[in-house]
Amino acid sequence: MSGPVALHTPTTPVAGAALASDPVLRVNDIQAHFRTQHFGVSREVRAVDGVTFDVRRNEIYGLAGESSSGKTTLIKTIAGAIKPPLQVVGGSVQFSFMPGYPGLHAAPAAEVERVRWRHLSYVMQGSMNVLNPMRRVISTFQDFAWRHLGGSRKQFEERVVAHLARVRLDPAVLRAYPHELSGGMRQRVTIALATICKPDFIIADEPTTALDVIVQKDVLGMIRSIQQEMGSSVLFVTHDMGVHAHLTDRLGIMYGGRLVEEAPTPEIFSRPLHPYTVYLIGSLPRIGDDTPRKSLEGSPPNLADPPTGCRFHPRCPLAMEVCARQVPPMVESLPGHRVACHAVNPGAAA
Amino acid sequence: MSEPLLRLDHVSKTFARGGFFSRRRIEAVKDLSFTIAADKAEIFTIIGESGSGKSTTARMILGIERPTGGSLQFDGLDVGALNGHADRMRFMHAVQPIFQNPFEAFNPLKQLDRYLFLTARRFGAARDQAEAERLADEALRKVGLSLAEAKGRFPHELSGGQLQRVAIARALLSNPKLIVADEPVSMVDASLRMAIVNLFKALRDELGISIIYITHDLATAYSISDRIIIMQKGEVVEAGDARAVLAAPQHPYSRQLREAVLTPDSPRALAS
Repeated sequence: MSGPVALHTPTTPVAGAALASDPVLRVNDIQAHFRTQHFGVSREVRAVDGVTFDVRRNEIYGLAGESSSGKTTLIKTIAGAIKPPLQVVGGSVQFSFMPGYPGLHAAPAAEVERVRWRHLSYVMQGSMNVLNPMRRVISTFQDFAWRHLGGSRKQFEERVVAHLARVRLDPAVLRAYPHELSGGMRQRVTIALATICKPDFIIADEPTTALDVIVQKDVLGMIRSIQQEMGSSVLFVTHDMGVHAHLTDRLGIMYGGRLVEEAPTPEIFSRPLHPYTVYLIGSLPRIGDDTPRKSLEGSPPNLADPPTGCRFHPRCPLAMEVCARQVPPMVESLPGHRVACHAVNPGAAA
Repeated sequence: MSEPLLRLDHVSKTFARGGFFSRRRIEAVKDLSFTIAADKAEIFTIIGESGSGKSTTARMILGIERPTGGSLQFDGLDVGALNGHADRMRFMHAVQPIFQNPFEAFNPLKQLDRYLFLTARRFGAARDQAEAERLADEALRKVGLSLAEAKGRFPHELSGGQLQRVAIARALLSNPKLIVADEPVSMVDASLRMAIVNLFKALRDELGISIIYITHDLATAYSISDRIIIMQKGEVVEAGDARAVLAAPQHPYSRQLREAVLTPDSPRALAS
């Protein structure tokens, strides 16, 4: 990007930026389950069941998976939004800017206050639900960011105006109420809101799903250019594989509460290994391609009563006897390409 | 040339907005004309973004909204002026809707099979419960489910893809000639989307049902449609054979839409 963006180049690089492969987020065997007890009947839904991955500095890490694959629960756990009946049963979520705590859910309130929005911010799906409908946009900026940025009211407002220019928004939107803006403008406001403090880590949960295709492409380009400018890391969640192909650096595929495959995004598309990923990539309709698309038999697993062993085995064309018995471990089958599948990694189960 | 199944003749719809003093008129659909033939089933796709008038068009075809101009004829019935119980029943037999969000289309407190039985008795040929069960099972089998899977279950117990299939099965019970599907897959996961879309193809080929498929997803539209129209702000900007239009769009707006599609084939166009 050029033009007004150059006004606001980051002057103080984040400590440790020299090591590009430094993980900002390290998720280690996290397990988050929904536990309910109604009339003496207890139920446990194992929505996230042992997920391990790293997000490096200055990269966009994509998470893909269908609904009920556990991706929303996973980012809730990472963001520390744990409310009953959701419970963290095991594992840890470590941020480089918050050493010593096994996740936001386990950190004291003061620590969460310090980190939130300054180091860790969010872009959510429904922009109308994020912005307070009763307050002008500028008030929302004051609520979220003033205490982190400091300065006088005038200085703060100048900073907000300069930052809005990056997402190509006119300063006039600051005086508007959310309902006066279009969906695309509102989503750009939330992106500006999430990035104004130059956070180290941004969680983006389907930020463009509600937008029209033309606006979507615009907004994605903006997320990309701001991320590159600030060197932040982004965890980008969507079920739209087209978006992943265009935006993310590395991609993790979730199925039934577990990560089944992870690789650099171009490699996932050119050389998928897990049978579920192979199907997922193969089923995408493409304009100009007339070959019929096969659809996968069966339905997503019920996480209250998941299949034993590999959770994909009831629908898997390569299923073997061992698949129903043993959970396949996540193994680095190719450099930087991890897969959890008995058929891909024979003999890997210890 | 026999009488077409559906004929839209210069249909338009204007909404008036505002109060007594400031009256603003919004033209949701302007001068829309197309026909769907009675003798050959087809999938007719309407593409457009929010505010393009595509959903208003669907509501007019379903008789929920009355056109403010032009005429809308279905099989000899004037849809814009349906009058009387007999005509309305005949129309509802022949035209069935499928909506975007199956979780909103079904009452969450009502078991799914009850919907199917009610429809079977009201619109199907069922005279008693046993026959209704037989018809419901038959319809569910056409969409790849069975009555055993749906019986006694509530909407939240099924996945979005399954529930959307139940919605299609319910629509099939009255043996419709036309199904109007308004964004039927936009709430459904990518992996299940093709299953629903392929089902539409099967309905067209095996049961001879014409489908009006309303969407903003160009890729699925390409894979199933026969004819297509692209709408922008209530007007048709491009129309024709689906493959020809989507492979080489002519109108600047259609071209812009086509370019904005993020296909997995041209990765990393946004990077750098």
